[in-house]
Amino acid sequence: MNKFPFSIAAALAFWLAPIVHAEAQTRYNTQPRGNSIRVDGTSTAHDWEMEGGFIGGYIEFGAGVNLDKTQAAPAGLQGDKIPAKAHVIIPVSTIHSKAEHMPGVMDDLMQKSMKAGDFPRIEFTLTEMTFKGPHAAGKPFDADAAGELVIAGVTNKVILPINLETLDEGKIKVSGTAPVKMTAYGISPPAPVLAIGTLRCGDDVKILFDWILKEKK
Amino acid sequence: MNNKNELPESNRRDFLKNASLATMMAMVGGVELRADDKAKSGDSELTKIPPAPPINIGVIGLGEWGREILIQLGKLNADPTREKKDNAPVVAICDNYPAALRRAGKEIPNAQKYDDYKALLADAKVQAVIIATPTGTHKEIALAALAAGKHVYCEAPLANTIEDAKAIAKAARDAVKQIFQPGLQQRSHPQVEFLLPFIRSGALGKYVMVRAQWHANSTWYQTGSSQEREDALNWRLRNATSTGLLGEEGIHQIDTVSNFLRGRPLAVTGFSSTIRLYNDHREVPDTVQAVFEFPHGVNLLHDLTICNSFEKTYEVYLGDEAAMMMRDFKAWLFKEANAHEGGWEVYARHDRFYNETGIALVAGASKQTTLAGSMESFNPYEHEPLYYALDAFTDKAGRQTREIKDFYDTYPDGTVADLLDQLKTDPALKSTAAATWQDGLDATVMAIIANQAAIKKQKIVFEKEWFEL
Repeated sequence: MNKFPFSIAAALAFWLAPIVHAEAQTRYNTQPRGNSIRVDGTSTAHDWEMEGGFIGGYIEFGAGVNLDKTQAAPAGLQGDKIPAKAHVIIPVSTIHSKAEHMPGVMDDLMQKSMKAGDFPRIEFTLTEMTFKGPHAAGKPFDADAAGELVIAGVTNKVILPINLETLDEGKIKVSGTAPVKMTAYGISPPAPVLAIGTLRCGDDVKILFDWILKEKK
Repeated sequence: MNNKNELPESNRRDFLKNASLATMMAMVGGVELRADDKAKSGDSELTKIPPAPPINIGVIGLGEWGREILIQLGKLNADPTREKKDNAPVVAICDNYPAALRRAGKEIPNAQKYDDYKALLADAKVQAVIIATPTGTHKEIALAALAAGKHVYCEAPLANTIEDAKAIAKAARDAVKQIFQPGLQQRSHPQVEFLLPFIRSGALGKYVMVRAQWHANSTWYQTGSSQEREDALNWRLRNATSTGLLGEEGIHQIDTVSNFLRGRPLAVTGFSSTIRLYNDHREVPDTVQAVFEFPHGVNLLHDLTICNSFEKTYEVYLGDEAAMMMRDFKAWLFKEANAHEGGWEVYARHDRFYNETGIALVAGASKQTTLAGSMESFNPYEHEPLYYALDAFTDKAGRQTREIKDFYDTYPDGTVADLLDQLKTDPALKSTAAATWQDGLDATVMAIIANQAAIKKQKIVFEKEWFEL
């Protein structure tokens, strides 16, 4: 039997190891605790907000990306781009009104408006992440996350300003804001007829989120 | 305004002979307490909470009550005013008596038929089961259903013994991903839900006492095609398999009273007799009385009989400022002369009754359509209490199932502890009124012990550990 010399194998392993490491991507998976979503809206009567705690999905950073916040910029940048892939899901039914009285009415209204029966999830697929410098040491990195946002079955290309921050135990936090125009997603701003008259919600809402992920080992 | 004492005696006598209780309440100046009937208002596109997703139901036990459950589920699924139309499809039915299975099968032709509950539980399509078998069989079926991962609605009382009731309650407590609802149907009735905060707010003043009755003219006897079948049908007539009138019927009133009084009784003294003698070897008394001693000197006087139906079923709560009577899920308030003005009168409508004016308390009083008609003719609720209880159960089971799916779709590696924290955040799961396993255990213990006290004609002091796991 023609045996491969051990010394050559060891040498190859030694030389290839850094390359393999450099090619390796780092995947962060969502964590079930610490996530929060807030939807801020307006109406002809008063501002309103809804909250949720479910954010699913992952982020996969490309080779060499390091979010060491002591540095001026993340390692592994390609130009000003942070090589990354990401997919985010938010179940619509897990977002609830924080109204003091009859919050279920608002939940019902929003789920109907968002056609939650047919489209139970909000989804976001990242196409490009751009680093926004300069970065102050110790602070989270600022970036723009460009991608496709799907709400109520309608897809729009969006750019979301986000912060990337490393935490303990291999975790990262992604925070950001997604300004959303309801009509752009085929959603008529809810206008329920109440005892006080017709209340009309404003077209513009803001989705604010904090998302905790942990490195997959 | 209470003119009871001003009524000429002859009028009152004539009236009592001929008129309905609702009329009587009106004439003595009763104040009707009524929740808004959402189904009838129909003028809003909004619902109180978002509709729940569908849940597939299996019904185990197709006797008289099992058939009633199927009827109410049918109404639930067909209700045109209900957003959750067809949300509780009956996909499987089970009875070990072939004729009962055939008869129910004709009504629900699309349901899978099983003669063994274990086979029904093995059916993956079934997500939730309703157990309507004789009380003594609940434990075996409920434990198996919970172990199979099904949501469970188990008729009350949960069991014939405290030990069995505890076993069911423990399994229900530990089945954290499932809904367990005992068949204490009044807990889900909108009128009770409406009255609870009103009464607990002290509208009656200090509680003085409570009186409850359940009267019917019946034998409780069912005929069967064979002696064996007849024995099986008449399990309620034998002490070994029945908790008697106090358990099988009185449990709902005992539960409601303890719910309103917000506590458990300290002791119960019972009396019983068999007035009618039948040649059917029955052991269960046909007439019972029980006095439940609640804290602070408040007693519940409870009497039940199947020998006389006079005034059927009602409860009266007496406070030192007012009394409230509940009957047919209508409620009236009778204020004492020394009663405080609670402020709620502002929101009430004023009705002319006989030669007196009564004040009605109605949730959603701006809806004048619900106020039309006389007090006696108005029927605020279209449905039986069972309908509302099954509505609550299927609603909660559907929501919880979706929530768990959402959780594991979002967090494939999430732990049960993480899941439980997330379940707490769904307000709809918390806001739907329904009895819990603890309510079921409490009511079952109270009913079992009251039945024992009635049979022995003695006083029994409740032990705390009977209610604890």
